[in-house]
Amino acid sequence: MRHSVAMPRTRHSLIEGAKGVAPILIGVIPFGLVAGAAVRQAGFGLAEAMGMSVIVFAGASQIAATTLFASGAPLWVALGTALIINARMFIYSVSIAPLLAEAPRWLRPILGYMLVDQNYASTMTEGRHRDDVDIIGYYAGGGIALWTVWQIASIAGALLGPFIPASWGLEFAVPLVFLAMLAPAMKDRTAVGVAIVTGIAAAVFVTLLPLQSGLIVAIITGMAFGAWTDRPRPGEDR
Amino acid sequence: MTPVMQFWLLIVVLAIGTWSMRSFPIILHGRVPHPAWLERLLKHVPVAALTALVVPGALYVHEGSAYSFAPARTIAAVIALAVALKTKNVVATLAAGMGALWLAQWALAALG
Repeated sequence: MRHSVAMPRTRHSLIEGAKGVAPILIGVIPFGLVAGAAVRQAGFGLAEAMGMSVIVFAGASQIAATTLFASGAPLWVALGTALIINARMFIYSVSIAPLLAEAPRWLRPILGYMLVDQNYASTMTEGRHRDDVDIIGYYAGGGIALWTVWQIASIAGALLGPFIPASWGLEFAVPLVFLAMLAPAMKDRTAVGVAIVTGIAAAVFVTLLPLQSGLIVAIITGMAFGAWTDRPRPGEDR
Repeated sequence: MTPVMQFWLLIVVLAIGTWSMRSFPIILHGRVPHPAWLERLLKHVPVAALTALVVPGALYVHEGSAYSFAPARTIAAVIALAVALKTKNVVATLAAGMGALWLAQWALAALG
């Protein structure tokens, strides 16, 4: 606030947006390290690791696609699983679109590229309620901060990956980072129910269905269970 | 196709698909069809996807399509879950999970 006179509003908004995601940046680093290292451990080079993190820029799906591909799943299973994981972003995009409606045409594809969980959350819960910032700048500031930290962590992971001894069992770090993301997402009874149903489905279908396609079936089963739990009931408006 | 080419194909198609899903509503001012049932389904993607990615790795080790139960991993995952729920901290979860895995592997080997 005290900068608002000395500093142009856009710059102030960018900086405030970066500050909005600052508490989450530390948590992004281990994901980036694992994502970068996973590509190298799959036998690919620095170029492939950076291609994944710069062109895709969607952490969970990158790690899932890489580890599935590396463990012998066919292309369509790795791709299908990763795309289902990212389908949530469609709903983020729909709900954030009104806030970004003033953005010039050329900027909108870039704003879309920057849409990740942390930036979405910070803009929707914090940024849009502040009248000292321009919301597009706030969103872009958060996006740039997250993008920069993600790329640095990915490069570091890709450089370190080949030096991590197999005896450390680091492939177990992949389920662990997903577990760390999962815990805060289990906010209510429906979420816990979805986790239990998906977990059982995954444990069973992965061993029964070929080529790890059981993962896709388990995710769809869990989503369907959640949607069924949330179904509009007679007598309710929604 | 070599594995490297396949991996680049994976990167490019995943990037185009992901960018389309997260950009078109913003580009089109939210004027895309988004029926209520679709929103109800997609709302559960994070929990369902993350669980599906955790559980097999926490229960099994696999060579190709041969899965075998891995008790050390399961013990470590349960401990890591408790730490994750309590602390909501990524670094603490990773440290607890990896530490527990090494301990459990050592203990199970010692027990024979």
